[in-house]
Amino acid sequence: MKIKDLEKLNDEGVESLSSKERRRFLQFGLSITGVFLGGTILSLTSAPKVQGALSSGNVPMTDFPYSPHYTMVIRQNHCIDCERCLDACRSTNNVPAHGYRTTILERSVPIAQKEQRERIFMPILCNHCNRPACVRVCPTRATYKDTTTGIVLMNPDKCIGCKTCMAACPYNARYFDEGKRAIDKCNFCYDTKLKESGGKITACAAACPANVRIFGDLTDPESAAYKLIHAPEKVVWVLRPETGTLPNVFYMNS
Amino acid sequence: MISYLKTNTFPTISMNQVLIVVGLALFSGIGLSFGIHSLVVGHDHTFGTSREVPWGILISPYVFFACLSTGLCIVSSLGQVFGIETFQPIIPRTVFLALITMATGLMCITLELESPWRVGFYALLSPHQSSNIWWKTTIYSLYLIFMLFNFMSLALTKKKMAKIFAIIALVTVTMGNLNMNSDMELLGARGFWSENYMPLYFLSLSTLTGCAGILLFSWLGKTFNGQTPNIENDMALKATGKLFTVLLLGILYFTGVKIMGGFFPQFTKNPEAMSLLVQGGFALNFWIGEVGLAVLIPLALILATKGKNANILALAGVSCLIGAFVLFYDLVIVGQLIPHYYQYNVVDLPQYYTYSPSLHEIMITTGAIFFFLASFVFGEILFKKIYTS
Ligand code: SF4
Ligand code: SF4
Ligand code: SF4
Repeated sequence: MKIKDLEKLNDEGVESLSSKERRRFLQFGLSITGVFLGGTILSLTSAPKVQGALSSGNVPMTDFPYSPHYTMVIRQNHCIDCERCLDACRSTNNVPAHGYRTTILERSVPIAQKEQRERIFMPILCNHCNRPACVRVCPTRATYKDTTTGIVLMNPDKCIGCKTCMAACPYNARYFDEGKRAIDKCNFCYDTKLKESGGKITACAAACPANVRIFGDLTDPESAAYKLIHAPEKVVWVLRPETGTLPNVFYMNS
Repeated sequence: MISYLKTNTFPTISMNQVLIVVGLALFSGIGLSFGIHSLVVGHDHTFGTSREVPWGILISPYVFFACLSTGLCIVSSLGQVFGIETFQPIIPRTVFLALITMATGLMCITLELESPWRVGFYALLSPHQSSNIWWKTTIYSLYLIFMLFNFMSLALTKKKMAKIFAIIALVTVTMGNLNMNSDMELLGARGFWSENYMPLYFLSLSTLTGCAGILLFSWLGKTFNGQTPNIENDMALKATGKLFTVLLLGILYFTGVKIMGGFFPQFTKNPEAMSLLVQGGFALNFWIGEVGLAVLIPLALILATKGKNANILALAGVSCLIGAFVLFYDLVIVGQLIPHYYQYNVVDLPQYYTYSPSLHEIMITTGAIFFFLASFVFGEILFKKIYTS
């Protein structure tokens, strides 16, 4: 099955996941797993190669397109909605009051076979997608994917304020900064905390008291994020996989 | 000016005509000054758009005028490019209308941008070829230039030259129209658009509005200038009326498909959005605007008079144009109202996002329409000789 067809399938949700097939793919050497679609787990970083892997059984060792390939793993069930990450992001990155780069969504999810519902806090931020809809539509390359790190960045000087990227992003990850007269979004603290820490951590991850946001490098087996994603018994997923943007922010319960 | 050069006579203008042009220009100026104000203080303070619904009503006149221009160009090329004689008498006015409709559309999109002063520089210095928006704006700007040359050649009675520019403009604008489809399709977040911007639908809709525009504005022009009846011109309008009727039937089919999608989820990929349009908050717009005004009323008027009455054809045209405007408004807005995380059981997430145009947005839209009307009347005065030659 081609990746395009897989994307058309519905996300089955994590509830119905079995980790068997995912383990199989890990054994094949696919470095990163996540979306669960129609019972098949896809590599998210190297789509053309996965296509090859799925159609011919000829499995490549995945090499990452970026180095370091930054990612964030959200350990969703640990989030207590204290919002310290939001404050840290705001103060570190000068985010104005009328916008936000990251937020916490509160979900109320039915618990299987019971009348009760469970409350879940789901932090969201830009997914630094491997196939970013926002970058594709921008007429002036004001938003672009950094060729070294894969971070989706903004050059505010080039932004004409057409807001096509806002219309295109499936994750509501962008807002118009009236001060800069340009779009602003999460950039993994590229010019602030990430730079200061020598590429080690972002402001929101550093501020989280419950270690929900694990920032790391997918090419580094020593990175905490790498380890979480590759833990064989853990289920990892991404948001709205059906849109085909191939996110680099992963969710798990841990 | 060109008319003067060619005919050696000043166009005669009555006081009433002057008053009408000045009045329209004044209204246009008032409306557009709201655009300048928004530009200065920022859309956050003046527009009804939001983070969730970033595109407002101003996208609708842009799409509307761009499609109208496409349709006008297509109909004008029936006579100019394909040499169908019946359509030849209406060529000059149609070309001029195509020119000013596209200019109005591009003006609307410019006023929708928050930082338009960066366009000239970065659209040229940092173009993005995989961005359909970039292509569309570039294509439409080029088209505007080709249409200008087309009209100038017509005014100078350089037929061959006019035909060459007409061909280039036709190819360009068709590309732009098809691009509009992929443009919307690309916006992965909004499935409603990819479902509703089908190339054939869009092209038919454009030609439909083009025919409606010709029927209405030929009638208005005639009324404005008090011209004597002209059999060839009437024949051309009747032929346009026939084309209009066929296209109405085509659009009726597409409207039927929308209705099916709105009532039966199995016929659509976006049941939430389609049901919002057909039986939810946009139902009035849909049934009165898209079904009634755009298709059924014009069809009924034409069938009742067998398409022979120019006044009724003009009435059918105006009804269709208003309906089409509503259609484009629905298309732009409904596409954005499904919440991004609607499948995630998010607490306090509304079933649909909301948007309503602000005073500034309405005034800018009205200003743009008046700008178009003022340009039209201006053309009627200045190019009367060319239109009737
Ligand atoms: S989450 Fe949205 S803004 Fe971020 S890279 Fe993906 S499409 Fe672009
Ligand atoms: S709003 Fe700015 S960043 Fe977004 S698509 Fe337009 S020019 Fe690019
Ligand atoms: S990574 Fe940095 S910019 Fe992105 S949400 Fe966290 S603090 Fe904000």
